[in-house]
Amino acid sequence: MAKCFALMGWSLPVIESMQKLGKPYVVVSFPDFEPYAAEHNIPFVPYQLDEWSDTSNSLDLVEKLKPYNADVAVPLYEETVEWAGALNSIYRNDPRVLNRAFLFRNKAIMKRKALIGGLRVGLFEEVYSKDGVKAFMRRLNEANLQLEGEEDSWVHIKPFASAGTVGHRLLKSMAQIDEECEDGDFPCLAESHLPGREFSCEAFIHKGKIRFLNITEYVKLGYSNFIPEGNFLETKRELIHKQVQKMVDIFGIEFGMVHPEWFLTENDELNFGETACRIPGGHILELCSKSYEFDALAAFVVSHDPNATEEELDAIFPPKGFKPKYYHGNVMIYPHKRQFSKLEIPEELNNDPYFTEHSLVPPYEGQKISGDRGGFGNHFGTINFKGEDPDRMTELLKHYQKVDFYV
Amino acid sequence: MEIASDRIFQNFEKSLEEFKESIELTKQEKAAKLASQVDILSQSRNGLVYLLQKIGELDRAGIFNNTVWSEPDKLIPLLVKGTLKVGHPTSSFEILSELRLLAFATGIEKSDKIAQKDAQSFLEEVMVHNLEFAHQDVSEETRLAMPVRELKKAFNLFGFIVSEIDLQGVYEKLAEEIRLICAQRPIMTRKARELIRLVNERFDTTGDSETDRSVRLYINAIYAPSEGARNNTSLKDYEYFLSESSVATLEREARAMGEHMNATGLVSGYHSLLLKKLVADYEDLVPVCLHLNDRGVAEWEKFHGLISTLINETVSPDNCQCIYGLARMLGKSLFSRRPVRVGLENLRKVKIHSMVEKRISKSLINKDADVTVLQYLIGGTIKVLGQHLGVGQGNNPTCQSARGISMWSQHAPAMLIDMIITVATQNDLIMRFENQDLTSNQLGKGLLEKLDYNLDVVSVVLVPHLDKIYNEMMKRSAYRGEDPHKWVNPAMYGQWVHVGFASCYDYPSNSIVDYAGFVKIFYAAFHPDFNGQHQMVYPNPVGIFLTTNKGVMVGLHAISLLRVDKNKKGEMRAYFLNPNNEGRQDWGQGIKPTVFGNGEKPGESSLPFYQFVARVYAFHYSALDVKSWLSLVPQEEIRKVEPLAKESWGKSYVWNQQTKLW
Repeated sequence: MAKCFALMGWSLPVIESMQKLGKPYVVVSFPDFEPYAAEHNIPFVPYQLDEWSDTSNSLDLVEKLKPYNADVAVPLYEETVEWAGALNSIYRNDPRVLNRAFLFRNKAIMKRKALIGGLRVGLFEEVYSKDGVKAFMRRLNEANLQLEGEEDSWVHIKPFASAGTVGHRLLKSMAQIDEECEDGDFPCLAESHLPGREFSCEAFIHKGKIRFLNITEYVKLGYSNFIPEGNFLETKRELIHKQVQKMVDIFGIEFGMVHPEWFLTENDELNFGETACRIPGGHILELCSKSYEFDALAAFVVSHDPNATEEELDAIFPPKGFKPKYYHGNVMIYPHKRQFSKLEIPEELNNDPYFTEHSLVPPYEGQKISGDRGGFGNHFGTINFKGEDPDRMTELLKHYQKVDFYV
Repeated sequence: MEIASDRIFQNFEKSLEEFKESIELTKQEKAAKLASQVDILSQSRNGLVYLLQKIGELDRAGIFNNTVWSEPDKLIPLLVKGTLKVGHPTSSFEILSELRLLAFATGIEKSDKIAQKDAQSFLEEVMVHNLEFAHQDVSEETRLAMPVRELKKAFNLFGFIVSEIDLQGVYEKLAEEIRLICAQRPIMTRKARELIRLVNERFDTTGDSETDRSVRLYINAIYAPSEGARNNTSLKDYEYFLSESSVATLEREARAMGEHMNATGLVSGYHSLLLKKLVADYEDLVPVCLHLNDRGVAEWEKFHGLISTLINETVSPDNCQCIYGLARMLGKSLFSRRPVRVGLENLRKVKIHSMVEKRISKSLINKDADVTVLQYLIGGTIKVLGQHLGVGQGNNPTCQSARGISMWSQHAPAMLIDMIITVATQNDLIMRFENQDLTSNQLGKGLLEKLDYNLDVVSVVLVPHLDKIYNEMMKRSAYRGEDPHKWVNPAMYGQWVHVGFASCYDYPSNSIVDYAGFVKIFYAAFHPDFNGQHQMVYPNPVGIFLTTNKGVMVGLHAISLLRVDKNKKGEMRAYFLNPNNEGRQDWGQGIKPTVFGNGEKPGESSLPFYQFVARVYAFHYSALDVKSWLSLVPQEEIRKVEPLAKESWGKSYVWNQQTKLW
């Protein structure tokens, strides 16, 4: 087992899991958190993670972590993936670990690597301007044999290195490119629209093999999901497992967790969207913990440790072939209106047998939502459900996503 | 009342377990989830019982750590209500805090911070400030501030506390509460009866203090209004007693019951048996039994045929309260009006629509098995006709409908009976607005989300329809650049309402325009010193700014200005009907409407004239008549009103000083 885990980024739930696990750890994050950490006796190294300079670099950070005996770095957020990669390169004496971290942080390199390895991906290209996007769309139209008067092919653009859906735009026509694209969007990745049903999974990897695979059923991306996957995706579990292992092999991932997004077509083919290697949003690991009855956050951390023994891993992961008894789902609640004054929980929710708890907070007087939200923005709380029927779960999540709790 | 199911308890246990296992850092997040379970549990009585058992464990697990409730000895009873009004999760924590004190007060848990008797007196004081929750009958301000769900939590909590603690410390307060509620002679006596029952069960009232004597009057009015009733407590025994009694005994019984009813406005089940007995065998004693005035006696003599029929068909032990309404009807000579008599005859013969029947049944709690819904409806009609100022809106946002029922009862009683018949038989209502018929069943939702059935029978029948029609009229009058009430009030309430209309609120600019001019018109229209000593003829639908006891604006409310008159001390006062069930309010700046002691008739509220004006935002008046008086209104009066307005609700608006052509 590792001598000490360096947790890259501030996350209270992860700190809680580490304290319960009883393994040594040290948190590396911005100096803002230092007083809080000191007050609560959390081992802490303040570091300016958004700066790369003579005084802020991985060699310097390694020195700062030496008193703690840190020997494994764990990225908790998208923005700390390179830092963890750099530290682990040093700890494992393998410079390619850092390069692999860059792979996760540049969606164009990621796609290229996937393509070379034989995963199905869409057409993609780095673009540097509106004209670049238009040229890309034109070539896509040609490839799709567009006739005069037919609609343009859909193009997605996304920043190379942002989490999830942050900065993602779907462009359906040439006109839309003019209207919506801003100079600040570039350079970025342009790609063709991938058909298929979208879902994500979380594969915990140790020594290059999938130790545990969780499949998350998206009911509505960014709003609601549940675990384990519903009946249909469950029938595809083997296919998905194979494909994820293939991706792990192609990318050469040895330790940690990957969180890839896939599109499953009607012909049972899996299109690769993208992958991340940090903790997914949407409280996914919380749901995963509840359904599979283990501490997924602790497992996430431990799977980064090359020295973890089989026994240590067995102790933390659910037993092989474990079947969850319940589906756990949640829906993240965003106000529908721009301005609202009250939180109203509908009676039918409280009476629903699947409802377990919520963390919604009332607004302050006359609260307004500002116009710009990155990705899906911050939700106002989640509502948790638990039950035995995935179809009923889907219905409930769909329904409550439409209910306006803030009036 | 709802019952919390096992599933809810299991979810709570799970969250509690997670809370206890969590490290200090994530406790807050886990506490928030736990609070969502408390929110659900506090919706039901057995949920509260369960939470009371768990409260020690919760407290020790640190649920109050780092919150304002952390030190039980430093809490302030006055703040409880405000905290409950904030809503979940604050209100859920507040409920836990009360339960913790309840556990200390009753000795279930021990605290080294607060003594048992201090916890007890804390809860007593909280009770006194929150009687409206204990009654489940809240002020307009509270109703506007709290969603139904939060109200239910507060009702449950206080119902539970009342049943669990020793109430000795709040005896005086409860006695005064009973007196002031009854002084307003509400049609719905449920709240008064509940309080009287509570005091009777929980206190020794046999002493000789003024409070004891006052309380005994009300207790007797319900439980022992006569010697015969005191000695024969079961209705069956009392009926037998009546059959064996001499005329002299019956007269003594009739006098005692009539006096109790007249003094309290409350009627007992015994009274119904006695009255029926007298109608059958000793007609001469009926006026005594009803405590009638001279006019009432004359009415009885002239129309005793119809009145006897109504008594025989309508009065029953559970439906007894209509006896008071009947006595008031007789006192107002309503039977001398032919349309009223015809209307009541018609009402006797109707077949009630099944949906209406359901609504009425839902509003009755201890329905007499052998009394039909129609009998209850006739009883309800008699009550509304007899006590037009006793109409209330219940916990419903329907002040406009209540105001209408009250006004028609007073000035168009036969029309009101007709309307009751139409709705009772058709479950539908048509009213005309600007040359178009509005049929309530074809209209969309009104202001009412879900009717609160703690309402009198007539309101239960009419309000769902009146509310929809009113709302439709409001919708059709919207976007005209002026307050829609200008057109809606005369159409809704009838020709008694003047078409002249003044509002100090200017819709297009969202500001208060020419307030001084507005106040001047109000004085010239209603103040006898400045309008040529003219008294008001009909009630005036007035819109007011409702403010908290700190003078902070909370919303708009509909009331009726009834009359303007001097009280005994020579103070000019405005007398009005507040369709909210409770006339006693505190609107801040020392503006506190009274219901008793300032010349109010039962059911009226009153305020010094200038204070009343300071809350008005719209009213109707005769634009022609008012002209000649405007110049007589002195500036001092306006200067008295303006600061009261500006420093309270006025802070919510921009004030535009330009003069307006009214």
